[in-house]
Amino acid sequence: MDPSLHQALKTGIAPLHEYFLQGSILDASKEYLIHRLRGLCDHADSQPEQFNDHEMVFMLSGQQQAPFTVHLRHSLLAPECWHLRYVGVAEMGDKTRQTLVRTCLDVGVSETIIKFLNEMGFRMEYEFVARGIFFHKGIMKVTVTKMFKMNQVNDTKSLEPVSASHLVEVSVVASTSQEQIGEDMKNFAEQLKPLVLLEKVDHRKLQPVTSQTNT
Amino acid sequence: MALVGVSVSIEAVQENKIQEVTLDGQEIVIPPLSMSESLAKSAQKIDFTEDGSEDHSAKTSEEETGDKEAATFQPSLWPWDSVRNKLKTAYTEVGVLLDVLNIAKEKKYMVLTHVQQDTSEPKSAVQLLAKKKGIMLQSLISGLSAASAVLLSGAERLKRSHEDKTGASSDKFHMELLKLRQSWRLKKVGNAIIGDLSYRSAGSRFWQGGTFEVTKNTGTSSGDQTDVGSALQNPLQVVIPSELEGTAYVQVEIKSVPDSMNLMSATLQMPDAIGRTPPNSHWQERLDNAQNLLFCKELFAQLAREAVKMKSNVPHVVVGNQIITNIFPGVQLSIVLCHSSNKADKKGVLQGVSQPARTDNKPVLEHSLHQLLREVHHKTLHLDPPQPATATFGFTKRRRLAGPLGLSRADLKEMADSETLLEQIIQQARHEVLKFRTMATIDRLAEEVRDPQIMAHWSCLNSPLQSNMKIIITSSGYEAVRSQGLVTFQSLDLEIGVDSLKAVTKDRRVLQLGFQEKEVEDLIRWQISQHHIALSQNIARMIGWEVLGCNGCNGVGAMEGFASSSSIQLVAPKNDRMLLIKSGPTSGLHVFLKIDNKDNLDPSLAALVDPKWLNLGGTFREIDMEQIEGGNLATKLELIMAMVCKKR
Repeated sequence: MDPSLHQALKTGIAPLHEYFLQGSILDASKEYLIHRLRGLCDHADSQPEQFNDHEMVFMLSGQQQAPFTVHLRHSLLAPECWHLRYVGVAEMGDKTRQTLVRTCLDVGVSETIIKFLNEMGFRMEYEFVARGIFFHKGIMKVTVTKMFKMNQVNDTKSLEPVSASHLVEVSVVASTSQEQIGEDMKNFAEQLKPLVLLEKVDHRKLQPVTSQTNT
Repeated sequence: MALVGVSVSIEAVQENKIQEVTLDGQEIVIPPLSMSESLAKSAQKIDFTEDGSEDHSAKTSEEETGDKEAATFQPSLWPWDSVRNKLKTAYTEVGVLLDVLNIAKEKKYMVLTHVQQDTSEPKSAVQLLAKKKGIMLQSLISGLSAASAVLLSGAERLKRSHEDKTGASSDKFHMELLKLRQSWRLKKVGNAIIGDLSYRSAGSRFWQGGTFEVTKNTGTSSGDQTDVGSALQNPLQVVIPSELEGTAYVQVEIKSVPDSMNLMSATLQMPDAIGRTPPNSHWQERLDNAQNLLFCKELFAQLAREAVKMKSNVPHVVVGNQIITNIFPGVQLSIVLCHSSNKADKKGVLQGVSQPARTDNKPVLEHSLHQLLREVHHKTLHLDPPQPATATFGFTKRRRLAGPLGLSRADLKEMADSETLLEQIIQQARHEVLKFRTMATIDRLAEEVRDPQIMAHWSCLNSPLQSNMKIIITSSGYEAVRSQGLVTFQSLDLEIGVDSLKAVTKDRRVLQLGFQEKEVEDLIRWQISQHHIALSQNIARMIGWEVLGCNGCNGVGAMEGFASSSSIQLVAPKNDRMLLIKSGPTSGLHVFLKIDNKDNLDPSLAALVDPKWLNLGGTFREIDMEQIEGGNLATKLELIMAMVCKKR
C-alpha cells in the first residue's frame, strides 16, 4: 500500500495538497484585474466577497530538527472564525507540473489556540493583516490581497501597507495526484496574462528577504 | 617492292584539324563533320538559281544513261502526244478495273476474301501505359467537372448575396448574431458557431448537455418563390439537437382516489399538445423552448431518481413519464412530464383521461418544483466564502465551525442530511390539500350554522408549509356586547401545518388536530356551544338577571358525541323565574323555564312560609326556540327574559 495512504489511515487525516500559483499586480491596475476576474469567475452578477484577516505565524524551534511553522489566521469580519494551517515546502524543479504543489493541513480552531500554542512552545514570529477580495471558479480560489504591516503587536487598527502592490493567488486544495487541476489552473492563468503573470515562485529565493523583515 | 600476300589498304588519314593547343599541351581537335553537316555543306555549294543550262546538261547526261525515256520526252515531236498519253493511262486503268471485276466475278484464279482484322496483339507496355493515362485523364476530367460545378454554385450564391435586393444579408446576419449574443453564450469552434443552452453555467449537473449551432440561412430555392417569405426569413438559423425539439412542461395533479391504496391503477397520461414550435419560428422562441425542455427533463429525472431511491412508508410508483404517490389515504399526487415533440402525433389514445380538463393541476406546485430545482442549482454554485480567506473552501460556515464548537456526530449527521426534492414537494402538496380541506369545511359550516356567525380570517402571508387563520364566532348584532370587560365572541387560532393542525382557543388552550376534516368541524361545533353559554351569561348580566351557576363542562346528563355540553342557570331579578340553558355540540341548544305552581300551595302553610320559599321547587319546561321571535339566541333570550320578568 502507498505509504502516504498508510499514514493517512493510521492518523485519520487525509493528506491534502494545495496547488497554487502566485503573482502580483500594482495598485494602479488592480481595478482592471478585478473586472476581469469578475467576468471569468462564478457569480458575475453579485458583488465579490471581501475579506479582512489577521494572520500570525508561529514557529517552534526545536534543538534537533528544523523549525516548524504554523499560520494562524482569523477573520476580522467574522471574529469567531479562526483557522490554523500548516503548509509544507513546495517542490521546485518539476518541469512537468504547471503549478506549485505543497502539502497542507487545515484545522478550524477557536481563539484559545493562541494560549495553547504558547504553552506548547511556539513563539510568534510575525503577523500581518491581509485585506482583499475573494473570487472562486468551481473549486479554484482566487484572491487579490493587500498586505498590511502592524505598527504595534496585536494592534489591528494602525496599519501601513507593506508594498504598493497586491498579491494575486490562485489555489486549489485537493487530494493528491490530479494533474488535470494543474492544467486547468494554467489555462486560467493564461487568461489573466497581460495584467498579471501568475507563475511558480521559488520561495527559497525569497527566504533571506523575509528573514530581514522579521522584527 | 611489295611482297605477295600483303594487303595494302588505302584510307584517308583520320587526321582532324587542331583547333587549339592549351597551355598544358593538350590538343583540342575539331571534330569531324557528321553526315548531316557534310550534306548541308555540299548543299550550300549547289547554286539553285541556274536552271536551264543545268537542266539541259542534266538532260544530256540522262540521255546518255537512259534511252527508253528519250522518245516520249520530246515535247515538240507530235502535238497529239499528250492526248495519246492520257488515253494510254486511261486504257491501263480500265484494264486494271476489268481485271479486278473479272476476279471478283469469276473467282477462278483469284478470290476476294476478307482481310483478317489484326487481333489484339499482346499489349505492350506502351499500350498499357497509354490506357492508364487515358483512364487517369478521364477521372481527372470528371473530378474537375464536379469541382467546377461546386465552384460555379458557390459563385452563384456569392453573386446572389452580393446583389440581393433587400439589402446586404451578411450584414443582417451579423446584426442578428449580435442580438443572439446578448442573450446566449456563443463560442466559435473551428468554422462553426456553437452555443450552450443548458443550465450548466447556472449550477446544473445534468448529464444531457444542450449545444446548438448557429448557421447562416441562405435559403435559395424557397426564398425565391415567395417574396413575402423571403422578406420575413431570418438570415440566422439555429440548429437544435433532435432530442431537444418540441416543448415540454411538468404537470402536478392532486386527485382523490376512492379506492385509495391501489397505486397500480394509474393510467398513463398522454400529454396534450400545447402547441408545437413550427420550424420557421424565431430562434429565441426555439431556444427558449429547448432550454425549458432540458430543465423539465432534469427536474423529472431528479424526482424519478429520488422516488426510486427513497425508502418511505408509502411506496412511490414511477411509470414512464409519471410519478405517483399517495400523500393522504385517498389522495394521490401525480407528477407528469409532458413532452410534445415536433414529430408526428403519437398514436397513443388518451385512455379515457380527459384531455382538455386540466382543472386538477396545481400551477402553484409546478412553480414550486421549478423553484426548488433552481435552488439546488444555486447551492452547487454558491459556496460560502471562507472567512478567513485561507479556510477550507466549499463548506458552510457552520460546518467550518463544527470543529471548534465541538459539535457531536449526531449534529454533523443532521447537518449533512438534506431533504430531497420529492420530499419537499410532497410536503407542500400535503399542506395544500390540508389547507383546502379546512377551508372547505369551515365554509360549509358557516353556511349550515345560522345562529352564531362564523367568520374566517386567513392571514395573507403564508409559507408553502404553513398557513394561519383565525375563526371568530359571534352573534350578529351582539358582537360588541361587553360586560365586565368580556367581549362576547369566541375565537380560534388555527395553524395549518403539513399534516396536522394546531388550534389555540380563546382561553389559550392548545389543541393538536389530525388531518381529518371532521376534527375541525367538531372543534367548531363545540366552540359554538361554548359561545351560546357565554352569550347568555353576558346578556343576563346586561339585563339584570343573575347567574346562579355556569358550567363549562357538564359532567351529568347524556353524553355528547364528542366534547361535552355546557349549561347556565339564570334567575330573574325578582327571584321567581329561572331559566336554564344547555348547549352541547351534538345535542344542540335547549332552553328551559321553570314553571312555579302556586296553585298547588297549601293555604295553611302560607302564613308560616315566606313566598320566596315557593321558588325552591317547580318543574322546568322546555321552550320551543323555533317559535320565539328573534334572529338568534341573543334576541330570543332577551325577549324571553323581558316577557318573563313582567310584574304579576
